[in-house]
Amino acid sequence: MQIESSTNTTAIIMFTAFVVLTLMITYWASNKSKTASGFYTAGGNISGLQNGLAISGDFMSAASFLGISGLVFLTGFDGLIYSIGFLVGWPIILLLIAEPLRNLGKYTFADVASFRLKQKPIRTLASLGSLFTVILYLIAQMVGAGKLIELLFGLSYASAVMIVGSLMILYVTFGGMLATTWVQIIKAILLLSGATVIALLVLAQFDFSFNDFFAKAVDSHPKLDAILAPGGLISDPISAISLGLALMFGTAGLPHILMRFFTVKDAVEARKSVVYATGFIGYFYILTFIIGFGAIVLVLNDPQYLQPDGKTLIGNNNMAAIHLSHAVGGDLLLGFISAVAFATILAVVSGLTLAGASAISHDLYSNALGKSVTEEKEMRISKYATVALGLLAIFLGIIFEKQNVAFMVGLAFAIAASTNFPILLLSIYWKNLTTKGAIIGGTAGLITAIILVVIGPVVWVDILKNSSPLFPYKYPALFSMLITFIGIWVFSITDKSKQAQKEKLLFKNQYFRSQTGVGIEKGSSH
Amino acid sequence: MKNSKDYDLLLSERKKIVSRLLTIIIFSYFSFISVIAFNPNFFGQLIANTFYSIGIVFGFLLILLIFIVTLFYVYLANKTLEPLIKNIHKQFK
Repeated sequence: MQIESSTNTTAIIMFTAFVVLTLMITYWASNKSKTASGFYTAGGNISGLQNGLAISGDFMSAASFLGISGLVFLTGFDGLIYSIGFLVGWPIILLLIAEPLRNLGKYTFADVASFRLKQKPIRTLASLGSLFTVILYLIAQMVGAGKLIELLFGLSYASAVMIVGSLMILYVTFGGMLATTWVQIIKAILLLSGATVIALLVLAQFDFSFNDFFAKAVDSHPKLDAILAPGGLISDPISAISLGLALMFGTAGLPHILMRFFTVKDAVEARKSVVYATGFIGYFYILTFIIGFGAIVLVLNDPQYLQPDGKTLIGNNNMAAIHLSHAVGGDLLLGFISAVAFATILAVVSGLTLAGASAISHDLYSNALGKSVTEEKEMRISKYATVALGLLAIFLGIIFEKQNVAFMVGLAFAIAASTNFPILLLSIYWKNLTTKGAIIGGTAGLITAIILVVIGPVVWVDILKNSSPLFPYKYPALFSMLITFIGIWVFSITDKSKQAQKEKLLFKNQYFRSQTGVGIEKGSSH
Repeated sequence: MKNSKDYDLLLSERKKIVSRLLTIIIFSYFSFISVIAFNPNFFGQLIANTFYSIGIVFGFLLILLIFIVTLFYVYLANKTLEPLIKNIHKQFK
């Protein structure tokens, strides 16, 4: 096939340039990442615009760039349902979470949940929720990365996974949050520019008439004008609401996203970063939609991008955007986009690993285990944790090579929406929340989400090859979130212990601080 | 300690702004999802003599609306909430 040989040169040159630049940044950042606040939050000195770009970078993963444009390519309109779901979480974060989170927390969202609740149990549960989310996400990214790099650069799957894993360990252990943020910012700019160029080149072929563009797409696709209408992605109301809830509230429970709010100096900057992020992400999803339709027009019927059977794409549907870049921009653009896709994976897995390492060192080790730990010791643990997570990611990436991992991101969102988000939301806003309620409700939601996915259609039938699912819906969030909220409510209001009364009394002061920011630590520069 | 007119005003103003914007977002998103679940054919209709389906037009408008809501919140927060927060900081320093 054409891809391997032609991309090799341009893509490898561009990717090497990216790696050299980011390693230089890591070296520069390593001096500033020696303190805990430097390592976890880049000293709190990232600006709203920079943070907005970094957040959008976390969100614009290779999975969403290639996955959503591939879904649009395959189904048309249905791809838009996912895009909008991923985007609608942002106003929720802005209106309910961002400012109180910044005002109450220091390094992780567990800081907020344990502000007035009992440190040990709450941090243990919050870090479990974080680690589940991070590891599931990480596996999905690693497997996607291995396959993509294997195809684009002609490397073996295992070596691709190892390169990604090793680079991410380097970025995070030496450069901490500062390097991770800059890697993310550079990649976000590259990805937005690359996607813009593809979209403009596509539209230019139609003199920028969307009408002619859609007309031609309808003409090119075997489903004809059905691609302009909702298809089979969501067929019943329960699934619709359940998926809607997971996407809308899951975002507000993703630990690698939440931790970015501690990198800015105050609530005002936190607010600004969400607006920038929402703008960039919204624009990006419009581009992926144009790219998916562009691939319908320019890739779907061009034999050079198809398998010998003439029906399926070389690689798979997720390669639609990559093939399109070649169709509109030749080898040069193909090389650029391939390098950007590689960079994207690196940046996203680094952010995930840092979030996982913070959960281990800051929440589990130094707070939940109850030892008195010096900052130095905590830093050392966080670096060990980074290396351990990196090795685990490589190992799991290799083990899951042949598995269908698409459900893992969905499960990560379901867990985030059913454990992390409710605990965070209620600890900020609900006076009567008690440790007992949070632990019982949060654990029940976590277990429910996992069980329902395992016995649902995706794992039980498609992967485990049983004939029919024990739980009929693909998306568990509606049920698992209900269980979490009911569990938290029941076990909080019936909790008459001394501890519970103390926790309720502490609410007033916590609320004051969350709303006003009086008493928060600002950036570490002074 | 927390008796401050500015603080009370901050809470009521924020509640007003947040509840309104949140209602707009949740209502429009779940309306969009509900049409897909209950009446997908409506979104499949093309607007007269074009290839724009109603679903795609609403989808793009929803993306725009989500962005405008975040922008509008920051505008309102800077205009009405931030001065109150500044006063409170002076009071409780």
